[in-house]
Amino acid sequence: MISVETIRPDEWRRTCELALEEGRFLGLYTVEGPGVRALFSAPGGVRALRCESAAPTIVDLAPGAGWDEREGHDLHGAAFAGHEPLRPLLAHPSELETWTVPVRGEDSYQVAVGPIHAGVIESGHFRFHVVGERILHLDVRLFYKHRGLERAAEGHAPALALPYVARACAACAVANSVAYAQACEAALGLRADAELARARTILLELERVYNHLHDIGAICAGVGFAAGNMLFASLKEQAQRLNLRIAGHRFLFGQVAVATGAFALHAVERDRLREELADLRGAAARGWRELRFNDSVQDRLAGIGSLSNADAQRLGTVGPAARASGVRRDVRTESPELAYAGFAAAAPHEPVGDIAARIELRAVELDVSLALLDDLLAHPLAGGGTIGGAVPADVGVGRVESPRGETVCAVELRGGAVARVHLRTGSYSNWPSVAATAAGQLLPDFPLINKSFELCYACADR
Amino acid sequence: MFVLLRELARLRREIALPVPVRRGSLALRHVDAGSCNGCEHELGAVANPYYDLQQFGLSIVASPRHADVLLVTGPVTTRMAGPLRTAYEAMPEPRLVAALGDCALGCDVLGSAEELAGPLESILPVDIRIPGCPPPPERIAAALLAALGPR
Repeated sequence: MISVETIRPDEWRRTCELALEEGRFLGLYTVEGPGVRALFSAPGGVRALRCESAAPTIVDLAPGAGWDEREGHDLHGAAFAGHEPLRPLLAHPSELETWTVPVRGEDSYQVAVGPIHAGVIESGHFRFHVVGERILHLDVRLFYKHRGLERAAEGHAPALALPYVARACAACAVANSVAYAQACEAALGLRADAELARARTILLELERVYNHLHDIGAICAGVGFAAGNMLFASLKEQAQRLNLRIAGHRFLFGQVAVATGAFALHAVERDRLREELADLRGAAARGWRELRFNDSVQDRLAGIGSLSNADAQRLGTVGPAARASGVRRDVRTESPELAYAGFAAAAPHEPVGDIAARIELRAVELDVSLALLDDLLAHPLAGGGTIGGAVPADVGVGRVESPRGETVCAVELRGGAVARVHLRTGSYSNWPSVAATAAGQLLPDFPLINKSFELCYACADR
Repeated sequence: MFVLLRELARLRREIALPVPVRRGSLALRHVDAGSCNGCEHELGAVANPYYDLQQFGLSIVASPRHADVLLVTGPVTTRMAGPLRTAYEAMPEPRLVAALGDCALGCDVLGSAEELAGPLESILPVDIRIPGCPPPPERIAAALLAALGPR
């Protein structure tokens, strides 16, 4: 359930403060005007607050809103009084002092990296402020890949605007599409039937499987352990070949639609998929055991890049990174629109928030996902559809646990067309946590720290 | 460790890779000019044991100074057009430009016109075209191997 309330600017901060007492900050975005929207979790759903004029900042109440407000300023000129300094985020002025935090002192210097990196990596710029090899502060400048997808989606019918969200990021295409579809359906007064819920859950978990396999392999590459990297790269390839066979696409593109089912499996294919996923589960578990008890790998990961539980709570960290820091939060435990009944959030043995914990958590979740897929595939899958009956609204919100964390999509409809769509992915939530984690660490450890979060740039930049 | 190596050896036996007969090598430099990360995943996949492009003399290098081919992904955003030109200018002659994926080729590009500077063809001379959304690793491998030229 989504409750929408219009708030006066002078009551904005007080209302947000009260909303934070009973729920979490889920995102903030602006509209032409400028108007401001803030989303919070609430018992049994989402609370959407809207202000039709400039609103004061809430960054002191919800530090996770820092990037959202900076984006709102760059996109729609929203002022957010009290957010000082309101540094540009999407805009890329050339003067360093406009967008970096001033760091001064004896022997402090800057190391600039990117936007083009040394490997096959997405584009983004990191400016490290260091003394010796110790990072004092990191300014992350993304949005080199900003394609204006949200703006381009405006004016289209909900079904036709889907590709703008789906192609924001290949590795999170299913999660982003499902969040968007749910948002549209909520606005249209529809909800997924049990069959559609199961089809979407299967797709979401298949996406998580190849992503987590990729991330474990990437960490092996980061510590120079070629055997682990190649094994997990092979398992990822096998998972993507399964995707290709059952869905016709290695990244499962085109399998989610608005208000209707788009993915079904006949019995023979389903049996074969189940067997192959069982094989994959065995191989992944054997591979992980080798990594878990390989001291030369684990010694490189333990105690590095620790994100404390308090910081994860404060910064609004989501997904595997939050759970590795002991924040047992997973949108899958509160997804009545998907087939996750009885799901419990995973936890590593010791949720100390270091690289080792983040990788262990992915290995645990990978096994959970493959077990869940086995259950979900126990019955034939017809595709499903949606059921009407709920009251249509002009705002809809969808929430999905992507491989990188909670992804929230808000859609505003006007006259049957999308007036505004906003996608706040797990990667977007977590980039400030990467910067916070880097502070105090050694510069040469940063690539590994960054890989342990394994955030998408495309998902954040849109 | 033994388990991993045994598993990889078993995989290697099962995967029928073509025998590397071509001579020569190509050094590749990748630039993401605003892709959705799909092309990056697939370009990364050509190094996995199923395709193993390195044994054919193809390698990804860390600097455009060392590169023969500039592999470009994405529709070329306004913010990446500058860094892309800088990378191209840093390459020694002779150099080739490969458009990797439909976005770089200017097909079915999604986004706001004011944020996009592409397609790639309007910015740099394109020599190799690899279509697909994203192109599967075998297509990337085939296109790059063809770029090595006749034996």
